[in-house]
Parts: sequence; structure tokens; C-alpha cells
Amino acid sequence: MSWTQHLILAPILLPMVVAGLMLVIDGRSGRITAALGVFSTFALLFIAIVLLAQASAGGAQSAVQVYQIGNWPSRLGIVLALDRLSAMMLALTALLATAAMVFSLARWHKAGSFFHPLFQVLLVGLNGAFLTGDLFNLFVFFEIMLAASYGLALHGSGHARVKAGLHYIAVNLVASSAFLIGVSLIYGATGSLNMADIASRIGDLDAHGAMLFRVGAAVLGVAFLVKAAIWPLGFWLPTTYAAAGPPVAAMFAIMTKVGVYAILRLGLLFTPDGQGNVLAASGLLLTGGLITIIYGMLGMLASQAMARLAGFSVLTSSGTLLAVMGAGNANVFSATLYYLVSSTLAIAAFFLLIELAERGRARADDVLAVTLEAYGIVYDEDSEDSREAGAAVPAILAILGIAFMACALLLSGLPPLSGFIAKFAMLDALLDQARNGPAPGSAWAAWLLVATLVVSGLATLIAMMRAGIRTFWPSFEREAPRVSMIELGPVLVLLALCVGLTIQAGPAMRFVRHTTEQLAERKLYMDAVLKKPVVTPQASAAHAPAAHAPALPAGARTPVPTPPKKGAAR
Amino acid sequence: MPDAKLPLTLMLFLPFASSAATALMPAGARNLVAWLAGLTALAVFGLGLWAAPEIYAGTVLRAQYAWLPEYGLNFSIRLDGFAWAFAMIVSGIGALVVLYARYYMSPDDSAPRFFAFLLGFMGAMLGVVISGNLIQLVFFWELTSLFSFLLIAYWHHKDAARDGARMALTVTAAGGLSLFAGMLIIGHIVGSYELDVVLSSGRTIVDHAMYPAALALVAFGALTKSAQFPFHFWLPRAMTAPTPVSAYLHSATMVKAGVFLLARMWPVMAASDYWFWVFTPVGAATLLIGAFLAMFQQDLKGLLAYSTISHLGLIVLLLGLGSPLAAVAAIFHMINHATFKASLFMAAGIIDHEAGTRDIRQLGGLYRAMPITATLAMAAAAAMAGVPLLNGFLSKEMFFAETIESHVDSAFDHTLPYLATLAGMFSVAYSLRLIDQVFFGPEATDLPRKPHDPAIWMLAPAALLALMCLLVGVLPTWTISGFLSAAVFGVLGALTPEYSLAVWHGLTPALLMSVVALGGGTLTYLGLKDYLSGAVEGPPLLRRLSGKRLFERAIAMLSWRWARELEELLGTNRLQSQLRALVVIMVLAGCWPLLAGAGFSPAAALASVGVWLGNTWLSPRWLTSSAPMVGMFDPALLLVWAVGVACAVGAAWQAKYHRLVALILMGGSGLATSITFVWYSAPDLALTQLLVEIVTVVLILLGLRWMPRRDELIPDDQLTSARLRRLRDLFIAIAAGCGVAALAFAVLTSEQTATIGDEMIRRAYPEGGGHNVVNVILVDFRGFDTLGEITVLGAVAITVFALLRRFRPARDSFAAPDQKRFQTEYDSTRYAPGKDPINAHYMLVQGVIIRLLFPVICAMAAFLFMRGHDLPGGGFIGGLTFAIAFILQYIAGGARWVEDRLVVLPVRWIGAGILLAAATGLGALLFGRPFLTTAFRYVELPLFGKTPMASALSFDLGVFALVFGATVLMLIAIAHQSIRVYRTMEKASVREKAAARSGGDV
Amino acid sequence: MEPVIAIAIGVLTGSGVWLVLRPRTFQVIVGLSLISYAVNLFIFSMGRLKVGAPTFTGGAGASALADPAPQALVLTAIVISFAMTALLLVVTIASRGLTGSDHVDGREDGL
Repeated sequence: MSWTQHLILAPILLPMVVAGLMLVIDGRSGRITAALGVFSTFALLFIAIVLLAQASAGGAQSAVQVYQIGNWPSRLGIVLALDRLSAMMLALTALLATAAMVFSLARWHKAGSFFHPLFQVLLVGLNGAFLTGDLFNLFVFFEIMLAASYGLALHGSGHARVKAGLHYIAVNLVASSAFLIGVSLIYGATGSLNMADIASRIGDLDAHGAMLFRVGAAVLGVAFLVKAAIWPLGFWLPTTYAAAGPPVAAMFAIMTKVGVYAILRLGLLFTPDGQGNVLAASGLLLTGGLITIIYGMLGMLASQAMARLAGFSVLTSSGTLLAVMGAGNANVFSATLYYLVSSTLAIAAFFLLIELAERGRARADDVLAVTLEAYGIVYDEDSEDSREAGAAVPAILAILGIAFMACALLLSGLPPLSGFIAKFAMLDALLDQARNGPAPGSAWAAWLLVATLVVSGLATLIAMMRAGIRTFWPSFEREAPRVSMIELGPVLVLLALCVGLTIQAGPAMRFVRHTTEQLAERKLYMDAVLKKPVVTPQASAAHAPAAHAPALPAGARTPVPTPPKKGAAR
Repeated sequence: MPDAKLPLTLMLFLPFASSAATALMPAGARNLVAWLAGLTALAVFGLGLWAAPEIYAGTVLRAQYAWLPEYGLNFSIRLDGFAWAFAMIVSGIGALVVLYARYYMSPDDSAPRFFAFLLGFMGAMLGVVISGNLIQLVFFWELTSLFSFLLIAYWHHKDAARDGARMALTVTAAGGLSLFAGMLIIGHIVGSYELDVVLSSGRTIVDHAMYPAALALVAFGALTKSAQFPFHFWLPRAMTAPTPVSAYLHSATMVKAGVFLLARMWPVMAASDYWFWVFTPVGAATLLIGAFLAMFQQDLKGLLAYSTISHLGLIVLLLGLGSPLAAVAAIFHMINHATFKASLFMAAGIIDHEAGTRDIRQLGGLYRAMPITATLAMAAAAAMAGVPLLNGFLSKEMFFAETIESHVDSAFDHTLPYLATLAGMFSVAYSLRLIDQVFFGPEATDLPRKPHDPAIWMLAPAALLALMCLLVGVLPTWTISGFLSAAVFGVLGALTPEYSLAVWHGLTPALLMSVVALGGGTLTYLGLKDYLSGAVEGPPLLRRLSGKRLFERAIAMLSWRWARELEELLGTNRLQSQLRALVVIMVLAGCWPLLAGAGFSPAAALASVGVWLGNTWLSPRWLTSSAPMVGMFDPALLLVWAVGVACAVGAAWQAKYHRLVALILMGGSGLATSITFVWYSAPDLALTQLLVEIVTVVLILLGLRWMPRRDELIPDDQLTSARLRRLRDLFIAIAAGCGVAALAFAVLTSEQTATIGDEMIRRAYPEGGGHNVVNVILVDFRGFDTLGEITVLGAVAITVFALLRRFRPARDSFAAPDQKRFQTEYDSTRYAPGKDPINAHYMLVQGVIIRLLFPVICAMAAFLFMRGHDLPGGGFIGGLTFAIAFILQYIAGGARWVEDRLVVLPVRWIGAGILLAAATGLGALLFGRPFLTTAFRYVELPLFGKTPMASALSFDLGVFALVFGATVLMLIAIAHQSIRVYRTMEKASVREKAAARSGGDV
Repeated sequence: MEPVIAIAIGVLTGSGVWLVLRPRTFQVIVGLSLISYAVNLFIFSMGRLKVGAPTFTGGAGASALADPAPQALVLTAIVISFAMTALLLVVTIASRGLTGSDHVDGREDGL
């Protein structure tokens, strides 16, 4: 195998190994550890971009890259599969990670022990979840992601974080058992764990098995919806995110998207051919999504602390994704993916920005102290080292103000930034569907969504304006916060990316459209995974292709002599 | 025609470019930025002039760039006569405002910020008028709202400025969003967002079923922007902006965007009664109310603001009438109003600037002090009042003429002329008042500053505009006709009617109306004069109800109080409610496929559930054939589970008040679980479950020490509400239990399909080189899972450690638990303080035994580890056993004792474990195999005998290391707390130290 | 034996869920452990039940042996749930330390 074929491993293994190294040199927060972390994140960014290029080569017909770990046929071992969607998510993760990592170096990584190892492990989990093609392995990566996220959410400890963390952990533990039940039911019904293999077996299940499978899928769906924080399963989110340190919260911006990703991926893959969009099959996703949007919107209006507002904006964003996915056809999905990218970047930037913007304000004259207490958001001094980071950037307040306005526009979907493009594209696609869509119900759904999205945009604007005026235009004279370049830089870069998305809307849209086209072709994915032959040795006869004689109707077919010991020659 | 692409693009982007440039300039460079801004405006104006011949020839200039072609959103610029006319106004007046502002703004205002915003606004406004695409139009539309927000709040240290800005943005942005929705609909009716296509769509829109919706949405957008009743209230509040801004945005440009849009869509949307009945009444109402309120304003700018509202109402009314001639009048009045109102605002600004106040009651007799300003103001005011020989007169004349024409035969239609005349009277009245009470009458003595005419360059812009009013008024055909006809043709195209701009049409009813208005207005003013000069702010009747206050109440109600209440209603911060919701939803999700199958009718659903359960429970498969029913009702296992079940229920019962009991019971059911594993041929599971059991229990025991004592009942538990809550939870629990049980049973009794497991068994030995298939799966088939699993363990371990480093115990758990206190007291009577009583006496026997056991257990661990590949055992089990060996030492000797004698660096073990496992996997790459491909051969080892030396073994070693490290780390972390506590306590007595040594009360 | 095992799983789940819905952190911990037992058994039962068929090759053919895959899954699940229980325990201790209460919401209001 050539080295480029192994590259797909890197997003998982690199951070894992780096985390291991950090622990071996016992990295509480030493310089070397930080250096390692930075190196790994930047390397990951580079790799993610290369992978993105690989995956998207060839437009709509770009191939699905499959990697068989342990050199077993796909259905037996665990496979990693890289298609456009997963490549996109990898790139997005890497971008956020880089920003958060750089930001954290100013002060946050010292707020507690083991920030860097946990951060790397979080990356392992996220990347793995996006890459794996095995259902149970997906569970494992979810757990890795969660374990790290627990650690990071509690990073710096303190009253608020521990309280929020307790809820976060408890809810997700129950969700994890749902995940296990779902997976095992699906195994019990289909007898396989490989996603593609399962998809190929769905067709020939008897009534009983089909029923079991559907139950399993439904329970599994609940587990994903908890991650996506759909109403009423997402109450833990705003408090947890608001309590977490800014870089952590910024990283968490992608975590709800993991749930959305899983729903999209499996929903499309497990839909038997010719049954349309299973996500829209029952209005559940749409309804839940709509309520989530509304709840998030209300929460934004009701919250005084900016961090909490940001937390609720996460809800609105993921609610939008779910609702639109639940209402839309493949054409709508592509707009949804564009929205996913744009809103994730915006929210991450916002979380980073908040801390900078509020840094300058003396806690004493903060009118909201009381309410913060009520929300359980208490700034505990030991969570941050009091020393202000870096030298003051000139005209910092103006820059922060502009950045904040950009966030407000992005989140509320107003011109001129990508938020508007995303909203427009989604609404336009929805209306198209409503006009000449096959499903009669889709019309009212579309209109409902259009109305909700427009209103939620206005509500977001009002909430953001209120918060912004309070922070940037206080009646009293506020002194400029001391912000270092490595803190400001990431925010600006993230926002610049959104600007780029706006100007390059055409190409970006084309990319996501091809992505959804590829997704819709489930056969493409299944064949790529199941028909992939295992690696056969060039020289050593000990590793004959016969080593992996398939017993099940899929995969590499080769004559079956008595199997010699695999790899015995080494 | 010349290639218009570049000039048009420049036209749109120059302002934005220089806005950005301006923003970067130092605060000191006032003249520089002013020059830059002025030149930009002039450049745009020049480009307009360049295009003039084409436009006058009736051609439409276009430039298009692909932006989002898939969604029919292209970046397209479309310059027809109407757009051109507006572009000229925007840039021309823009240039004058810049000149004016240069002198108006004081040196301590940040000039770069001001001009950057102003230029940004200019760009946005140009974008609105020359957009060739509906969505793009909305795009710039919202930008204008945004920049006006920034400009109004320019002096954001003033509360009024902040509130005014916020209100303006809220109202106009809301309008913009509704406009957005409207445009989406129109785009879908027509099938394209391109303005060319839309404008050539004829009656398509009007005849479409969605027309009313589209109209309503567009109307809301336009009316809010143009401050029409009842959305007018934001405009007066916006007067807190610097006067140049008011002169530019709130007279000439932004507020015109609404009427611009209506005129733009007029050809394709006006041909319906809906249109008439939406806009004519609103326009009429606004016209009257605005004019009426204007009379009673005491603030100079307030008066102008309300008069603007009323004039915009007039325009909307005209557009609403739906006749081409009315449209002409509307367009004409847009142009005229822009000129005289901008000039008036400038004059007001000058007065404010020089006299230091804008309050009409204070001002007076300024004519002597500032004659030039006065003359200009008088000319402009006369135009506003519609005095002949000024441009205002001409368009008003047209307006009057139009109101007389009958359009829809209705009472309202017939009253229109009278309403128009009345409004005319009002406007004459407030214009008169403006002139009389500011420039004439007794000279004001108590002015903040000594007024005089300002610098010539500050006067010039106002003068130029006033001059235009006069010229147009006197010689319309020579001055304005070309400009106007270009604009009109842009809107109406072929529909353009015959109209004359003559000053004198003979004795027409319109003329009569003008005369009545002038006369009546004068009388009205004379009647009100004394009242006004004394009166407080606001009109006599409507002073009570203020749009502003209503709006702010509404916003506060909607976006604050209701939002909070709803959010609390829909959400919760309590863990129990969240988990309850989660469990219930899981149960429902489990049932949903059953119900969905039956199409949601409850009866059918129940039936289907019944049928399904029947098929499974009573399936002959397990009643008759004993094939899947191995050892039906084996008494022994039955007994085991009788106990196990009892334990589970007992644990549930006791967990609140008797933690230790609950813990033991929990262990009991855990034991039953492991027995089941053994029973059904899964020794690995049994072993693992057992070991995990032990470690978990130990950890929890250590943790229990920090839980509060609970020996008395919590009173709330006895409340009925609490009982009910428990009852509900009981039902939920039972439902969940039944659901899972049913599922398990359904699977157990169903035929097993061909699973991957069979194939794994077949290939485990030949290719995986192990007899213990489960272990082969763990390290080979699914080794990747194992890698992930140990990562989880590691991550959790360091999290635990990190968290506990900041641990602060609650006050009441400082004191050592009873039994230890007694023990230590007893000890202290017999041993000298400082001598370690624990090792001497406390737990002496167990301690010795455990210490002796240490090497044995270690050997055991190694053995379990090595045999793993073929028999029960392996890395995890080995590691856990090894860890238990240490745990026992801690239990026996206490944290200190162990750490004095053994150096374990658990964190390093964890790291090494991950690295080893990963490295093993990567080794395969060197052989050109994928990650984690294994190789193996058997070797003879002393003690262990024939052992598989698979690469899997070193992988397993990694697992071993990590599991050991993680477990010990967590244990140490918790065990150390008891030491930490006493450190944190101020007075740490020797006795407490001694007590601490036993590392938690175990 | 199938009904017995099924009922056992059901009861474990039921008691677990009941405890998870209780207000005290310790109850939640015990509850989650019970649930994890139930889930482990559940996964295990996906391979159906086979007596005396340990999955050690060399001898019997595949058909005679129990399905090893679910067993492997259970092993992974056990480890992970062990880790998570430990974590939850520590977090509850910490929360108890910071809030002074062992109520899941860190406040003593109601149950």
C-alpha cells in the first residue's frame, strides 16, 4: 500500500499518539505539551485539507475512499470511509480546532490540568466519528468524544462547570445506553455491524427482523438526537456551553453537528431504495426541529449573559438543521450543509469573542451579576489566572465591535454575510420543493419553516443587539480590554472564512450539492465499502488473497484454498 | 452602447471601497477623510453623468456577475431611468451632505468613523436602487438599515441615540425580513429573481393565488422603511442622529427606499384592488396625521421629521391610486421632496449649530442674526408648503389633480380631495410656523450661543438645493423635464402618459385646492400661534398615546417578559425532568415503529402491538422446538436470578437512606449478571464483569465518605406531591423495563440470521492465530474498538485526576467518620502521638495478609495476560487484576504507606499504553499492510509454555499498561482527597493526620 | 430460560431507570450501574443463548459455538461504562463539595 492510502488514518491516529506522548512526558501544561498540541492541530488542518482535495476530486462522481483496518474484509473488521461529507466535516473540525487551540494558548490552557491531552482526544473522537464506517465503532468514537468533552467541560472546575457537567454527563450516559441498545438490536436483526453491510441486508429481513431493526434504528435515533440537542432533549446544552471555557465552547460548536451528521449519514444509508427521504418520513424531525428553533429563539431573548445567549444560538442552529432536513429533499440538504458550515464557524467565533468582549468590564458594575448567579453562571476566580494576557491591540473595542456585529449578522442570517446566503438558499430550495414537490404535506411544512426561520432571524437580531449595546455601548465609560493578538487572530480568521463563504458562495454551493448527490447514491457508498478487496502481498506468498475467503454474499470474491497463516512470513 | 460593466461596478463599489479606506485612517485626519468621501460621491455622480445620454435614450444598462447561479441569485446591476435618477440624487445630495458635515461635525467627533459609515450607507443605498435582482435588492436594503443604525447611534454615549437607533433597526430590519419573504414568493411566482424578468411578467403576479401574501409582505417592508402610519414612530426618534445624517438618510434617501420599491414594483403589482386598498388609506392617514403632528412639534428637527412622514404618505397615496399619471406625480414629488427637505434639514442644523438649540419656543427673530440662512430656509419652506413658483407647488398641483380623478367608486374615494386639501392646509401651517417663529417675532435673548451666519462652505449645500427648488419651480420644462421623463419612463415604460409640467394650467380645481390650502393654512397658523408658542411638546389630543412608548412596551413584553416565561415553560434546568423526558421518549421511540406500522389509530396500534407480542411470546418456535430454548427454566439459574432481581429492586429501594446496603445489593445483581455470562459460555465477560465490579465498588466506597450523612428522613419525601411524583416515575420505570424485556425476548426467540460472528469463528485461528475468538476479535478483528476503548479510559482517568486536584470538600464532611474517631481516640490512649496507630493496630491482620498477597496477585495478573489469546484473560483483565493488587495495598496501608514504598507514575503508564498499542498497529504499515494488521507465531516460554507471540500481544500489552495506569490513577486521586482535606483545614491536629493515613474510611 | 433472562433484563432496567429519576446523586450512580448491567445482558442476548459452547476454536465447528461478536461488544461496553461510572462518581463528589448538597441540581429545593 502506498503511504497516501494510509493518510485517512492520520486524523484519528495523529492526535491519539500526540495525546499519548503528552501523557508520557506528563503534560499538565508544560511548554512542550503546548508545542505538541499546536503542531498536531496544524498538521491535522493540513491533512484535512489534503483529504478534502482527495475526496472531492472528480466532482459529483468522486469516489469513496475506504480503509480496512486489520486488513479484514469490510464486513468482518472495521473500515474507515472517506466521502465528501466526512471530508468536509473533518476540515471543519480541523479549522475550529486550530482556532480554539491558538486561542487557548493565551491563558485558558492553564486553567486546569491536562487541557492539551484532552483536547487531542476530543479530536480523535470527532474525526473518528466522521470517518468510521462501522456502527459499533461509531459508538466507541462517540464515547471518546464525550469522555474528552466531559473533561474539557469541567476544565477549570468551579461551581458552574461542575453543576452543568453533572447534568451533561448524566444525560449523555443514559443516551449512551440508548445507543448501545439500538446498535445491538440492529446487530440482532441483521447480524452485522458494518453500516454498508447492514444497509445491504435490510432488504431481505423477514417481518420480525424488520420490526426489530426499525425499533433499533428508532432508539439509535434518540441517542443521536440527544447529541443534536433537539427539544426536549437539549436542556443541558446552554448551561454546559455557557459554563465551559471559551475555547472549549468553540470546539463544542461542532459536537451538536456530529449528531446531525450521524442522522444524515445513517438515515440516508438505512433507507431501503425507493422509499424517499426517511428523515421526512414522519414529521417528527421537522416538528422537533421547529420547536427547537423556537425554544432556542426564546432562550436567546431571555438570556442576559452573552455566553448563555450563545448557548441558545447553538440550539437554534441545530434546530434549523434538523427541521430543514426533516422537511427537505436532497436539493434542500445541500443548502443545509452550507448552513451547517457557516453557522458552526459563526458560533465558534462568537464563543471566542464573548470572553474578549466582556473581559474589559469590571465584574462589580456588571448589572447582571445577580441573574448570573441565578443561572448558576458564577465566575470563579481560580478558573482563570488573573493576569491579563498580552499587550493591548490598538482600537481593540472597535475591532471587537465589528467582529460582534459580524457574529450577529451571521447568526440572525442578515446580509451581507454567509448567514444570509445560507438562509436564502434553504428557503429558496424549500419553496421550490413546495411548488413542485411530490409530497403534498411538504408545502405547508415549507411555509411553516419559512415563517419560523424569518421570525427567528428577527428575534436573534433583537437579542444580539440588546447584548451588544449593553456590552459595547455602556452608559458608563468602559476601559478597553487587554487582548493579545493570538486571541484576536482566531476570531478574525473564523469570521474571514465566513466572508469567504459569502463571496465564493457559488463554488461552495456547488461543492455541497455534489456532496448531497453523492450521499443520495447509497449504492456508491455500499459498493465502495463492500466490494473493496483486502491488501494482498506483492512478494510473500504467505499472504495470498485467499486469506480472506468471503462467506457472505458481498466483498472480494476469490477461490478458497486452505487458508495459510496470515502474515506468518513476517 | 459602450460596455457598461466596469462603470456600473465602480458606481456600486467605490463607496464601499473608500468607506473601508476611511475607516483605517487616523482619527485626526478630518480633512483627508472628508475629501475622500466627497470625491467618492462626486465620482459616482460623474459616472451617472457619463451614463446620462444612454439613459435619456431610454436604454437600460446592465452588468452581471455569477454569484449563486444554482439559486438564481446573480450579482446583477441594472440601471434604467428610474434607478439612474435615484442614483443621481443619492450621489449628488451625498456630495453636498459630505461638504456640510465637514463643517458641522465638531473636531472631537471621530471623523473617520462618521464618514466611513456615511460612505457605507451611500453604497448600500446605491445598491438598493441599481440592483437588478430582487434578493440582491433585499441584501442592500438590510444594509441600509444597518448603516442607519450605526449612524443614528453615532453619539452612542447618549441614551436617546442608542434607543432611537435600536428602534429604527428593529422596525426596519423586521420590514426587511418580511420584504425578503415577499421577494422569495414573487421570485417563485415569476420563476426568477432577475428584475428584468419580473418587470416583464405582466399580470402573472397579480393573478397568482399567492399575490395577497406577497403584497402584504412587500407592503410591510416598504411601509416600515418609509415610516408610514402606524410604523412612523421610529423616524422622529431617529432625529437624535447628527443633522447631516438626518438631511441625508431621513429626508432624501433611506426613507425614500420604501416608496422607491413601491414604484419599482408598481407596473407588475399595482393592477389590483388590493393594492389600492392597502396603500391609499395608509398613505392618506399618514399624510394627515404626519402633517397634523408636525404642527405641534417644538423641536425643529421633530417638525421636519413629521413633515417628511406626511410627504412620504402623500407619495404612497399617489402610488396607491394606481393610475399612471398618479405615478408620475409620485415620482416627481420624490425628487422635489428630496431637494427642499434636505435643504431644510441643513438649515435646521445650522441654526442648531449656531444658536445652540433647536427648540422653536426658545428661538425667534433670527433673521437679523443670520439673514442668508433665513432666506434659504424660507425658500425651501415655501416649496414644502407648495407655494407657486417653487418645485413643491408643481407636484402638489399634480397630486391635487389626481385626488379628484375617481378611481374606485367609493365613499373613501370621494372624500380624498377634501382630505388632501386639509393636509395641504396643515403643511402650509407648519411651514409658516417654522419661518415665523424661528426667524421673526421678538429676538431671542436667552440663547446658549450668539447666533450668526456660518462659514460659506456650510451654507453652500443648502443654498444650492434651495436654488434648485426655485429653478425647477420657475422653469420646470428647461430644468427637470428630461430628468423626470427618464425616471418616469424607467418605471412606466410604454404606459407613460401625457403630462405637462407647466406652472400655469388655467383655473383648474387643483389650483382652487391650492389656494384654499394656502389660505386655510395661514388662518390655521394664526389661530394656533399663541397656543403653540406656549404649549408643551406634542399635539393637544394625542399627547397621551405615543407610538414610541407603545412600541417599547410591546417589545419589552414580547421579547423579554413573554420570552422568559415561555422559555421557562418550555425548558427546565432540573436534571430529573430532563432524564424523565429522555426515558419517556426512548420508550416511545421503541414503540413508534409498531404504532407507525398501524398508521397511528390507537385501536389498530394496540392490536398490532398485541399481534406482535403474541407472535413472539406464544411463537411455537420456543414452545415446541427446544432448539433455541437451551436448558429451559434451569432451576439453578432461576434461583440466581430470583436473588439478582431481588437485589436490583432492593438497591432501588434502599439507595436513598442506606447507601452501603444499596451498594452491596447492586453488587449482588452484578454477580448474577456475571454468573449468567459464565452459564452461557462467555467466561471472558464473567471475569471482566467481576473485576470491574470489584474496582467500581471500591471506588464508590471511597467516594461515599464525601456524601452527606442521611440518617433522618427528609420531610419533603412525605408530601403527597412527592408521592405522586414517585408514582409517575414508577410507571415510567416499569414501562421502560417492560419495553426492554419485550425486545430482548423478541430477539432471543427469533431465528438468528447468518452473523459475522460465524465467519469470525471460522477464521479466528487460521488467520487471527488465537483459539479464544472473543479475544481475537478484541485485538484483531475489532482491535480498533479496543484502541478507542482504552482511549476513553485514559481520558476519563486524567479528567478525574484534574477535577479532584481542585476538590473542595463540604464543611460537614471535614470531620472524620465515627468509627474512625472512636478507633483513633482509643489508639491515642495507648500510643504516643505521631506513632502510626493504623499500622500498629488498626486493620493489622488484614494488612499483613494483603501485603503478602501482593506478589501473588501480580503473578496472577501476568498469567491472565499471557494466556489471553487462547483462554479467558488478556490485556484488560490482566491490567485490572494488577491494579487490584495495588488497590488492596492502599486499602491495607493507606495512601502514604504505599507511596513511601512504591513509585507508580500512572499518568505515564496511560501514555505509554496508548503509544504502545498505536505503535503496534502502525508496525503493520512497514509491511505494506493496513493499520493493526496482525502477525504471529507460537514460541515456547518457560513457565507459560506454548504461547502465541502475536503482534496482538504487544497491542494487548498496551491495553494492559493503560488499564492499570488509569485504574490506579483514579483510585489514587480519590484516595488522596482525605489527605488533602486535612491540608486544607486550618488546624490540622496530629490525630487527624493519623486518621487521614487510612485514605478514606475503608 | 429466555423468559427469565428477558425478565431479568427488564427488572434491572426498571430499577435502574427508577433510580436514575431520583434526586440524589448516589441514587443516580447506582441506577446507571444497574442500567449498564441490563444493557450488557441485552447486548449479550443478541447472540442468543447457548450453554456449554464457549468460543474457543479447535474442536467444535462454528455452528456449535456461541456468537462471539456480541461478547466482544459487551467487553467494550463494560469497560466504557466502568469508566463513565467512575467519572460520574467523582463529579458528584466534586459537586457535593462545591454546592454542599448531594441533590442532582445542587440545590435542596424539592425532590
